[in-house]
Amino acid sequence: MKLLVCIKQVPDLESRFKPDAAGVWYNETDLAFRMNEYDEYAVEQAVQLREKLGEGTELTVLSIGPDRVVEAIKKALAMGCDNAVHIQDTAVSAKDPWQIASIISTYVQGKNFDLIFTGMQSQDRGSAQVGVTVAEQLGFACTTTIVGFDYADGTVTAKRELEGGIKGVVKLKTPALVTCQLGLNVPRYPTLPNIMKAKRKEITAIPVADLLTADLLATTTSFHPPAKKGGGIVLEGDVGELVDKVIAILKDKTAVLR
Amino acid sequence: MFLDLTEEQKLIQDTARDFAKAELEPVAAELDQGDDRAPLMANLKKLAELGFMGLNVKGEYGGSEAGVIAFSLAITEIARACASTAVTVSVNNMVCEVIQAVGNEEQKMAYIPKICSGEYAAGGFGLTEPGAGSDPSGMSTQAVRDGDFYVLNGSKIFITSAPYAGVFVVWAVTDKDAPKGKGISCFLIEGGTPGLIIGKEEKKMGQHASATNELIFDNCRVPASAMMGKLNDGFRIAVAELTGGRIGIGSLALGLGLAAMDHATKYSTERTQFGQKISNFQALQWMVADGYTELEAARLLLMSAAWRKENGKSFAKEASMAKLFATESANRACYSAMQMLGGYGYTQDYPIERFTRDVRITAIYEGTSEIQRLIISREILRNFS
Ligand SMILES: Cc1cc2nc3c(=O)[nH]c(=O)nc-3n(C[C@H](O)[C@H](O)[C@H](O)COP(=O)(O)OP(=O)(O)OC[C@H]3O[C@@H](n4cnc5c(N)ncnc54)[C@H](O)[C@@H]3O)c2cc1C
Repeated sequence: MKLLVCIKQVPDLESRFKPDAAGVWYNETDLAFRMNEYDEYAVEQAVQLREKLGEGTELTVLSIGPDRVVEAIKKALAMGCDNAVHIQDTAVSAKDPWQIASIISTYVQGKNFDLIFTGMQSQDRGSAQVGVTVAEQLGFACTTTIVGFDYADGTVTAKRELEGGIKGVVKLKTPALVTCQLGLNVPRYPTLPNIMKAKRKEITAIPVADLLTADLLATTTSFHPPAKKGGGIVLEGDVGELVDKVIAILKDKTAVLR
Repeated sequence: MFLDLTEEQKLIQDTARDFAKAELEPVAAELDQGDDRAPLMANLKKLAELGFMGLNVKGEYGGSEAGVIAFSLAITEIARACASTAVTVSVNNMVCEVIQAVGNEEQKMAYIPKICSGEYAAGGFGLTEPGAGSDPSGMSTQAVRDGDFYVLNGSKIFITSAPYAGVFVVWAVTDKDAPKGKGISCFLIEGGTPGLIIGKEEKKMGQHASATNELIFDNCRVPASAMMGKLNDGFRIAVAELTGGRIGIGSLALGLGLAAMDHATKYSTERTQFGQKISNFQALQWMVADGYTELEAARLLLMSAAWRKENGKSFAKEASMAKLFATESANRACYSAMQMLGGYGYTQDYPIERFTRDVRITAIYEGTSEIQRLIISREILRNFS
C-alpha cells in the first residue's frame, strides 16, 4: 500500500506579521517556520496507519517550497515517514491553491498512491482548498475535517466534525484523500534518535518547473492588518456618577438591561 | 564560518521547546512550591523516552548521537520552562558521558542504557564533600581494598538527584599517601547498595524540585569491578567531565535569563505609569538592550565551546568562559527583569521571582565563578610564561 502525506511549512502564528514589499503577502524575514498544525495531525495519522500495516507499506511525505521546508520534511521523516519529496519552489506563496493542488496531482499521477492525507487547511492562507482540489483532479474519493480515522480492506472509515459538535461517519473506497482536523490525534514528538536517523532517509528534490502546468486562477492582491477599531470609552468621575453612566450606556447600546 | 544550526539541531531545539512549553511550564511553579515530585518524575521519564538523557551518547548505549551543540540547545529550552528539570537532565547527560568516556564495555552496557531509557530516573555525580568543594582533590572519603571488594567510608554533600538516582559515579581516595589528586579513584555504585545512605535533603533557595542530598558511606562494600577507569586515575576523570558539564550549566543559565528577559520585556510593553507604557522609559530600554546583548554573547560563547567539544578540539578554557559569562549574565538579566516588573516581580504571581532564585546557584555549582576565572587565567597565563 502506498501512502502520501502533504505538508506545508508555515510561520509560527505567534509571530508579528508585516506585509512584504509588494503588499500581497507577509514579509518572511525574521519569521520562525514550523509544520502547519493540521498537517501534524495528517502526518501522525499516516504514521499510525503505516505502523499498523507494517511491511509492504510505504509512506511518502511531500512538501512544496524553498529550502527551508526541508526542516518540516525532516520532522515528518523523524515522526515515521519512509521517504520524502521536496518540490523546490522559491515563489510558492505567489501560487494559488489551484496551482499548488495541480503540482501535487501532477506528481501523484501514475504513482499508484492508495491514500493521501493532508491538513484541513494551512494556518497562514487558510483556503482549505488544496486537499479537496487534489482529490478532484485525481478522481479520488474525498472527505474533509476528519476527527476519527480507521482503515481496513480498502475502505477508510472517517469520523467528521459537523456544526455544533455533531459527528458524522463517512466510508470511502481507496484511492482516497482525507483532510485532517484538530482532535484527530495527538501528534508525537519526534524522538532525538529518530531525528538523527532521518538524516539517512531519502529526500527526492524536484524543481517545481517540472510539475507546474496549471495557470493561476486567483491572485492575492493585498495583505494588510485590519484597520484600527475606535478605542473604548474611558469613563472618569466619582463612583456614583460612573455607575449611572455605565447603566445608561448598557441600556442604550446593549440588550443587557432592556 | 557557519553560525547557523543544522536542520537536526533546529528540530531538536523545536522539540525541546514544544515539550517544555506543553509539559514542563504548566507544572514548574507547582514543583517549585510543593513537596510532590511526581510531575518531575513523570516528565523525566518522557524526556528520557524522547532521547534527552544521552544527547552526546552513542546509539549502542541508548544515546541519541545528537552532539554537544544539540545538548546545549536542549538544556536551554528546558530551562526556560523549569530549571529543576534542566539540571537533572544536564547531570544525567554528564553521568552518561563520564561512563561512556572511561567505563569498560560491561559498565557502559550496565548503566548508560538505563539512564538513557529512563529506567533510572537519574544518575548521580558524587564528588563534592563537606571539606572539599572548590578543591575536590582534598576529599577524604576512602575506598580500601578488601579482597575482591572495596570498602567505602566517608560522606559527600550536595549530590543532585540522590534520592532517585539509580547509579552514582563516586570519587574516593584509594591511596592516601599519594600526592594531592594522584590517589583518587572513581567508582560506579548503585542506589540501594548496603552502606550507601542517602542523607538529609538540603532546603535550598531555588531549584526546589531537584533534590540535593548528603551521601554517607558506612562500610559500603562494592565489588572491585565497580571501579571505573584506572586505579588512582580518578581525579583527572572528574576534572575532564566537569568541563563538559559546564556547557550544560551555562546553557541552563541562558535559558533562565532569556525566559526572565522575555517575560519582563513583554510586561514593560503592557504596564502603564505616568500615562505611558513603561517600555517608553529609556531606563528600561537600556535594561532590555544590555540584558539581551549579554545573553546573546553568552549564547555565542556556549555555542563555540560546544562546537569545539563536538569537533574534538580543546575546550576547557572556552567552557569555563562560557559558564562564567552565561551564569553571571543570566543572574544580571534576572535582576533587571525583576526590576522591570517592580513589586509584581517580587511576588509569586509572576515567574521572575522563581527564575531569580533558580538562577543564583548556576554561578556556584560545577565550579564557582571564581574557580572558572582561575581555570581561564591559568590557561591563558600558561602561554605567557
Ligand atoms: C544545589 C547544588 C547542587 C549540587 N550538585 C552537585 C552534584 O551533583 N555533585 C557534586 O559533586 N557537587 C554538587 N554540588 C556542589 C558544588 O559543586 C559546590 O558547592 C561548589 O563546587 C562549591 O564548593 P563549596 O560549596 O564547598 O564552596 P567553597 O569551595 O568552600 O567556596 C567558598 C567560596 O570560596 C571561593 N573559593 C574557593 N577556592 C577559591 C580559590 N582558589 N580562589 C578563589 N576563590 C575561591 C569560592 O569561589 C566561593 O566563593 C552542588 C551544590 C549545590 C548547592
